[in-house]
Amino acid sequence: MTTAPQTIGSRARPNPLAKLWGSLSLVFESRIGTIGFFMVAFWFALALISIVWTPYDPNASLFGQNLPPNAENWLGTDHLGRDLLSRLMQGTQVILVKTRLPNGWVIPIGVALWGVLGSLTLGTLLGLNAGYRGGWTDQIIMQIQDALIAFPRIVLYLVVIAAMGQGDLVVILAITLTGAPGVARLARSLALDIKTRDYIRAAETRGESPWYIMFVEILPNARGPLIVDAMLRVGYAIFAIGTLGFLGIGLPPPDPDWGNMVNEARRFIYTNPLAVLWPSLAIATLVIGLNLFADGLREETTRYQK
Amino acid sequence: MARFIFRSVISTIVTMFLVSLALFLLVEVGSGDITVKILGVFATPEQRASYRAQLGLDQPWYIRYLDWLVGNDWRVRSRIGHPLVAVPNPQTKELEWWAQVDGQLVRWEMREGHLFALVRQPDGSVLEQPADDQWQQTPEGKEIFWGVNTKNSAVKWVRGEGEEVYVLTSAGMRKEGDGPQQYIPLRKGLLRGDPGTSLQTGRPVSVTLFPRVRNTAILAGMAFVVVMPLALILGIIAGINEGRLVDRAISVSSLALTATPEFVTGVFLILIFGIWLKIVPAVSVFLSDRAIFENPQLLILPILTLTAVELGYIVRMTRASMVEVMNAPYIRTAILKGLPYWQVVLRHAVRNALMAPITVIMLHVNWLVGGIVVVEAVFGFPGLGSYIFDSAIFGDFNAIEAAAMLLVSIAVFTRLVGDLLYTFLNPRIRYS
Amino acid sequence: MPQSPVLAIEDLAITYRIRGGEIDAVTDVSFQIQRGESFGVVGESGCGKSTVAWSVVGFLGANGYVKRGSIQFLGQELVGRRPDELRKLRGNQIAMVYQDPMQALNPSVRLGQQLKEVLTVHQKVSDQEAEERCLAMLKRVHMPDPADVMGRYPHQISGGQQQRVVIAMALLNNPALLIMDEPTTALDVTVEAAVLDLIDELRQEFNTAIMYISHNLGVVARVCNRVGVMYAGEMVEVAPVEAIFQDPRHPYTQGLIRCVPRLGADKASSVLYPIPGRVPPPDQRPTGCLFHPRCDYAQARCQEERPFLRLFAEDHRVRCHFAEEIDMASWQPPEEVQAAIQAHAGAPNGAQGSPSSPGEEIILEVEGLRKYYVAQGNSLRDVLGLAPKRFVRAVDGVGFQVPRRTTLGIVGESGCGKSTLVKTLIGLEGATDGRAEFLGFDLTVDLSKRPERLIQELQMVFQNPDSTMNPSYTVGQQIARPLIRFQTVPREQVQDEVIRLLEAVRLDASYLDRLPRQLSGGEKQRVGIARALASRPDLVLCDEPVSALDVSVQAAVLNLLLAIQKEHGTTMLFIAHDLSVVRFFSDHVAVMYLGQVMEFGPADAIYAPPYHPYTEALLSAVPIPDPGARQRRIRLEGSVPSALDPPSGCRFHTRCPRRHLLPDNGAICAAEVPPWRDVGDGHRIFCHLSLETLRSLEPVIQR
Repeated sequence: MTTAPQTIGSRARPNPLAKLWGSLSLVFESRIGTIGFFMVAFWFALALISIVWTPYDPNASLFGQNLPPNAENWLGTDHLGRDLLSRLMQGTQVILVKTRLPNGWVIPIGVALWGVLGSLTLGTLLGLNAGYRGGWTDQIIMQIQDALIAFPRIVLYLVVIAAMGQGDLVVILAITLTGAPGVARLARSLALDIKTRDYIRAAETRGESPWYIMFVEILPNARGPLIVDAMLRVGYAIFAIGTLGFLGIGLPPPDPDWGNMVNEARRFIYTNPLAVLWPSLAIATLVIGLNLFADGLREETTRYQK
Repeated sequence: MARFIFRSVISTIVTMFLVSLALFLLVEVGSGDITVKILGVFATPEQRASYRAQLGLDQPWYIRYLDWLVGNDWRVRSRIGHPLVAVPNPQTKELEWWAQVDGQLVRWEMREGHLFALVRQPDGSVLEQPADDQWQQTPEGKEIFWGVNTKNSAVKWVRGEGEEVYVLTSAGMRKEGDGPQQYIPLRKGLLRGDPGTSLQTGRPVSVTLFPRVRNTAILAGMAFVVVMPLALILGIIAGINEGRLVDRAISVSSLALTATPEFVTGVFLILIFGIWLKIVPAVSVFLSDRAIFENPQLLILPILTLTAVELGYIVRMTRASMVEVMNAPYIRTAILKGLPYWQVVLRHAVRNALMAPITVIMLHVNWLVGGIVVVEAVFGFPGLGSYIFDSAIFGDFNAIEAAAMLLVSIAVFTRLVGDLLYTFLNPRIRYS
Repeated sequence: MPQSPVLAIEDLAITYRIRGGEIDAVTDVSFQIQRGESFGVVGESGCGKSTVAWSVVGFLGANGYVKRGSIQFLGQELVGRRPDELRKLRGNQIAMVYQDPMQALNPSVRLGQQLKEVLTVHQKVSDQEAEERCLAMLKRVHMPDPADVMGRYPHQISGGQQQRVVIAMALLNNPALLIMDEPTTALDVTVEAAVLDLIDELRQEFNTAIMYISHNLGVVARVCNRVGVMYAGEMVEVAPVEAIFQDPRHPYTQGLIRCVPRLGADKASSVLYPIPGRVPPPDQRPTGCLFHPRCDYAQARCQEERPFLRLFAEDHRVRCHFAEEIDMASWQPPEEVQAAIQAHAGAPNGAQGSPSSPGEEIILEVEGLRKYYVAQGNSLRDVLGLAPKRFVRAVDGVGFQVPRRTTLGIVGESGCGKSTLVKTLIGLEGATDGRAEFLGFDLTVDLSKRPERLIQELQMVFQNPDSTMNPSYTVGQQIARPLIRFQTVPREQVQDEVIRLLEAVRLDASYLDRLPRQLSGGEKQRVGIARALASRPDLVLCDEPVSALDVSVQAAVLNLLLAIQKEHGTTMLFIAHDLSVVRFFSDHVAVMYLGQVMEFGPADAIYAPPYHPYTEALLSAVPIPDPGARQRRIRLEGSVPSALDPPSGCRFHTRCPRRHLLPDNGAICAAEVPPWRDVGDGHRIFCHLSLETLRSLEPVIQR
């Protein structure tokens, strides 16, 4: 019963934009959240810019090999004489802002985001059902989920890619499958908690259907933790894409892949360690940024929940 | 408590079954034509078909799944009419399948339309006997014979209808006549310890797997021994100093460590320790499977890499749990009793704080596995991770399945251990 | 010569630093506690009671600090002392007991060790000696089987026993000051009574000074000799307990006393007067007197000038400019309150008619209703399904009738099955056996099998204001949902209907777009009521609708429910553990124990002899907010038996204090199921004792 500030007072019905701004400004209340936001925003901006402009053609060998940073090539060049900055910028696209379909079409939103979106959808569906319905539904879903969790991720990636070949969609599928059990677990625990609330009883005693209760009554209140979790998952996904790229089975060319850039450059690490550093930094800062952003979001949302 | 343990065990068994099924389907049914990898792209369709039949791939998937899981000698036995045994070859030590006929080990061969029985002698050599008297009549009037061939398969020969088969030799595919009409490659099944033969090397998977597993176990085990105490202590220190400088420092560095992929850490550790400081060899050359015993220095960088990756995650988990516990009312009680701070932490907080992370840490073994694959790739370490990676690239499904099932059982088993440990640590479950 | 007080607090102000500013939780508190005295601190939630307690033990968290004033303990100043000096006082000379004992004990350490370390840390004692002293102390707090308890973990003993352990722990070092923060709030009424007895007994024996924090005036009246009333971070009145209850001089104290129902008061003869408004949060406190926006006597001076805590009479301090002029006896409720209350009070149209009076339509009829749950065993035999199935008999043969337009109150302690009964009636669970009929519908099936019409006619009001509303939707959306779902009104009229409903619960259209987090507890509860009324139900089940509310708000919500019943002719089932509230609110009352109804009858009949021995024990345990009232002391032994294996014969026989009135110390009680004794007028008692014997019992409460 120590003091907690309460803000009372009527407000007009918030429109969606104001709502979005409301949650964003929440993040800016937290210092680490703000730092995280700008780290992520930086890479998004770079990705968007690279669509219309990169300093040079990222796949063309235009310069000397393994050059250190200089006036022309701000980050230097790689072992084939390609401009590292251009490659780095272009590499952001597939992760964050575009996905290449097998027929050559390109859709917006990157592989990491689609993958996380997929696992969020699948995981939420499974988790809410398991948590709210309980009983056999829960048993079965949890069992499947246990099996998926027991599967070492990397093996799943390897097997899926070995089975279906390389491609953006395959990577999305792999991320979806590996992420879904974790999301389901979280959604289930949230549903278990939320379903004890009286407003769920109220909905039940008005005879609402289970789907209505799960998606209209429970889901909006589980949104916060799920979004925070999704942020972290985007981080893991980028991590995984990097790892797959490093192992040479990630996103296919022609777009440069950060993980693959590290793999290629490490053979010349004696002469040009910076070529390894840049893509490494890119992955690390993006993942850290997402982590900080999620931390800030979590901190602020829980603070206002009380 | 009995209920809890019972459920955990049952769930573990069901999980293993589901995983094995999913893995099998994904790998064998989902993967493309393995003959492309083995025979190359220039093989003819007949050659492929023949080879697939020799591998038993013409069977429906559920039969193959059962064969893979529990073996098929007991199923095939009725066709051959004799017990089947797998005994080691006195020279190569590899297992060979033989039929046990009247106390003798026998295999068969068909040459130029005639059947020969190969009887193994005590010294390992083989005595060849004509066996045309063993043909059996079918109602359709054909003469057939089910026996074990020299390639460890149960096969069906039909007299006078020898198939043309393509046999893979070191020189390429060779066409032979007098081939069997049906193949059932004999195996004991995974549950009985036989993961089958590697498609890549043609040798039994178990032979190659063992040293790899041993190497990885040493690597992971040592990393675990380094990581666990360090991470738990750092996590607890950060947790009790929530918000202070120590906490910030530990939290930020563990975040940085978790956010840096294994391959990056590995590459930079090589750069720093191998190239700049020259403390350890920059290039690790693992000449043999036993290299890590001859030159333990080679282990340092891989262990460091794994440590760096795992450390951050466990520190963060432990810290979060510790922070939560330190804010619990019973800690308040302990403080209000007038206990000194360190006693509050050690007696009342730590045990409760470690309960939650322990299950999660045990779950985290899966991540460790992911890390191992990459670390082994970075350092060229001859372990399970690189084995599974190579096998996956090649599409060697017997090898992937064996290695993956091994990893899954480790993961599932550690989780079971985590559950039991949790039960043990938590009196609320122990005494319910 | 006067001893120096154990605790003397002067001008205390406590502040919490938060991001972007500070919050003054406590602004001006002064009081003293003498040795052997029990000082009660009362006030509604958010008044800063607990904060004062925490400051005494120097445990304000990382962001709290004493901004001003002094805290003197046995003449020593505590403010500004070094942490390790404070540590030596804590647990040794100052001990603390607080609300939830389950949370206060470490779940993974044996109780014996938790007790012993209190001794070993402050004194040089051997483990053996510590053990012995702990055992003695556990005996002292009347813990059954203390040696066994020492080896147990907290979850293995009951809530009442946990609180005894915590109290024993606090007393081990014979502290000079014992701080108790709502120590019985989480406990059942009979357990609470036993713990309060214990506290009173120990105070006299140990001569300890006690600071007793509670929101419950009845509890304070029972255990304290002096009382301080806190409001919005200030002490507003300090006086001996008799003066506080009989001659309160601060309008807030008066308001608090007026808004709780007296035991024995009913809605026909008395009225509850809520205090308007609510406690202002620390950042929105008004100028002048903090209470003036809610005060009936407020004048211009109150808005401008801040009153001081001044001496009104000997040992009676008040923070009010007009303390001399305001007299509780001559208080007249303001007109608008009067009018609103007139609407329901003294209802002329026989709403309180007896259940058996002819012509009354029975709307709900329950007979032999049973709800069993399959118990999960934990032995290997159970897991493998070899052991015979065991059932938790949560509700076991309950029967009653409810006439239209009346309220049936159901009382009982936790585990008596009242919540399960409601869940079964509303259809969240299907019944195991028995009959339940409502307007011709069968209530034994669960919701999925109920017709739409039935669902619509049967609605529920919930206990917890914080979870009764979905935090993601506005008030308007949540009230509109049942209207849309049941098509109570055409689509285009939904908005108007929502506003009408809001007005029915004394809110207005400005609430339409508010989110639950912008409402106070009482407002949320009102919205919950509006939502339940939206489908125009004939029967509303109220599951402890006011138990989580502050007393002043509680009165307002009770008044509202009464008015609604009058207006709409709604029938209600009202569940509560507070006997005064049930008595006030209900026409008939059913007393439940371990899944069965022990007594049923008109509300006034239940509260006077003849009554069931269990009812008698309950009445004896109720804390009465009147230090002058005399209550006979009847305490129950042991705790409620498990519903898995309920006692044979009469379920209450294992704990019945009246058993000895029957031959052979009540052998028949254990052997046979008791008969229903019909007192007449619909009053029935489920007991082997004859009516004559029951009638001859002395009333529990005398005034």
